[in-house]
Amino acid sequence: MSSMALFSPPTHFPTLSPSSSLSKTQFSHKPHLLFRPKYPLLFRLKASADNGAGAPGSAAATAVEDPKAPPKVPEPSESSDGANGLVPPAPEVGVLSKFEDPKWVNGTWDLTQFQKDGKTDWDAVIDAEARRRKWFEDNPESSSNENPIVFDTSIIPWWAWIKRYHLPEAELLNGRAAMVGFFMAYFVDSLTGVGLVDQMGNFFCKTLLFIAVAGVLLIRKNEDIETIKKLLEETTFYDKQWQATWQDENKIE
Amino acid sequence: MTSMALKSFVGLRQSSQEKNPHFTIQAKPLTVTVQNPRRFRVVAGKFSPKVAGRNLRVAIIGGGPAGGSAAETLVKGGVETYLIERKLDNCKPCGGAIPLCMVGEFDLPLDIIDRRVTKMKMISPSNVAVDIGQTLKPHEYIGMVRREVLDSYLRDRAKENGATVINGLFLKMDIPKEENAPYVLHFTEYDGKVGGVGQKKTLEVDAVIGADGANSRVAKSINAGDYEYAIAFQERVKIPDDKMVYYENLAEMYVGDDVSPDFYGWVFPKCDHVAVGTGTVTHKGDIKKFQLATRNRAKDKILGGKIIRVEAHPIPEHPRPRRLSGRVALVGDAAGYVTKCSGEGIYFAAKSGRMCAEAIVEGSENGKRMVDEGDLRKYLEKWDKTYWPTYKVLDVLQKVFYRSNPAREAFVEMCANEYVQKMTFDSYLYKRVVPGNPLDDLKLAVNTIGSLIRANALRREMDKLSV
Repeated sequence: MSSMALFSPPTHFPTLSPSSSLSKTQFSHKPHLLFRPKYPLLFRLKASADNGAGAPGSAAATAVEDPKAPPKVPEPSESSDGANGLVPPAPEVGVLSKFEDPKWVNGTWDLTQFQKDGKTDWDAVIDAEARRRKWFEDNPESSSNENPIVFDTSIIPWWAWIKRYHLPEAELLNGRAAMVGFFMAYFVDSLTGVGLVDQMGNFFCKTLLFIAVAGVLLIRKNEDIETIKKLLEETTFYDKQWQATWQDENKIE
Repeated sequence: MTSMALKSFVGLRQSSQEKNPHFTIQAKPLTVTVQNPRRFRVVAGKFSPKVAGRNLRVAIIGGGPAGGSAAETLVKGGVETYLIERKLDNCKPCGGAIPLCMVGEFDLPLDIIDRRVTKMKMISPSNVAVDIGQTLKPHEYIGMVRREVLDSYLRDRAKENGATVINGLFLKMDIPKEENAPYVLHFTEYDGKVGGVGQKKTLEVDAVIGADGANSRVAKSINAGDYEYAIAFQERVKIPDDKMVYYENLAEMYVGDDVSPDFYGWVFPKCDHVAVGTGTVTHKGDIKKFQLATRNRAKDKILGGKIIRVEAHPIPEHPRPRRLSGRVALVGDAAGYVTKCSGEGIYFAAKSGRMCAEAIVEGSENGKRMVDEGDLRKYLEKWDKTYWPTYKVLDVLQKVFYRSNPAREAFVEMCANEYVQKMTFDSYLYKRVVPGNPLDDLKLAVNTIGSLIRANALRREMDKLSV
């Protein structure tokens, strides 16, 4: 069975692996794999690099069985899921063990383990999920059918999110608005003698107030100004590309 | 006033008197070149001269879905049609997915479809896996086809109906200097010989449809301009039978920065193997890295597979600045009709070929009159009107959900919602942007915003961890 598996011609074995002579002969075998695409007009593939092909394949396969094993040397032919098609050893060194956490059970967070004072500690769940996502971002793993991940962030109740993220930001923005508002009211009063209540009755002042509030809400960091400009352009860019053919017609007529 | 103008023209023309009286000012017989200045240019096709003694001649460059369906429609409309295709057995690298409506609209026989995909799995950057497809009715599916099978079916059908299929490579085109003069196409005819040099030939036609794909030469000849394009890179992998069972009628989509910064990675089942691939617009140089990452994410499911083919192709991201010039129109990939977000092109290619052909048939009154640019513009108008909402919605989806990892996480989370699944499949399978129940839409909007906010909040936590 494993020898049959060995026989399926693999792709390209970079000569990193000292592993088995068998894999060396298979290497020389670069058969009629259509390595260069037949459409030179369409796309020029640069040099080979199809080799890292299933790099993580064998190394990770072995790593799964034994997370502590050094990832570089794939075990010789005997391992049934090593040395198959997609398999040359990993050129990259990263840690190849899978994500594990005692509170992570069956593809989701086990809420019973997050109890604090008899209630679920949602902040801890949020932290745990952030850590998990960070792990996956740094070490992308193969998705597996046997252990599917089904965690959905909506199980964390809305008030937990608000308490943690919205409220501090809201405090900040309200503080800014209050400071700006107080100072502007004082400034306008000192210049024009119009008191706060009378300012509110004036249309111009109301407009200024609106602009001030919008500014505090939209522009929270210095970069936001650029971001907003880019966003505005982005929303209409695609439309412009489609309309291009019609500009033409107007020019001819 | 017109008669005075006519009188002043009479002397200029070589042959004059025996014209049909219901010509307007632009009339001329075929054999004669006329020195009309453009002063009396009339746009509407109904006033174009009758094409005497023969039918309108139209050449279609490119024999893929766009060319094949255009040829069929033209020929059925009474137009003399030439279809020039450089490689009759071309296996165009392609995802190969066609929506359900295409089978009905183009009368495709069911044996063209290798597989019916009825389930899809979306996998987020942190490997959260969501199954979609539970809302599909039993008769609904996404058809997976082999391009060589589909393309040759459409071409052969056009041929049976009377189109002339020429095996040749289009080289260039001479734009006529005068009104209503023919376009002269230069091509190398292979005539089925493989590896031969081929004969240089020319062909005179009245109108040209450019259906020759993303690197269209017809587009170059009319200075249609360039577009941004994505590179899609794909490996065909033959996996062991027991693993193939999982992909029996299931396709997978992987999203994540590792897999592609602005697109997605996929595992699509084909006739007896799977296609594993990814694509990108902005980081084309890293495509190999993305492909490795895609294979890594699908590793458990394709372990033991052997790569039988590697292919890549460009995918246009938006239409060319100019899709039409004179009596030359572009359709399909040549025009840039690939949707964002999903990268779907086959259906739109076939439909645009058909629409353009219909406009020509109508403008020429079944091949009896000459067409002009105005008739072809009608095709563009109809196309933009019918499909602009679809394209725009997909563009918005791509901008919102393919932006960053948090956005992708939110995207996958939203896919678990049944309403989303129903709307997505309805719009994909039937190409209708159907506004659903407003209350449901509102709930959906709230949920989407919630998802995005949560994902971005988690992202901020993640950033705190790395600092």
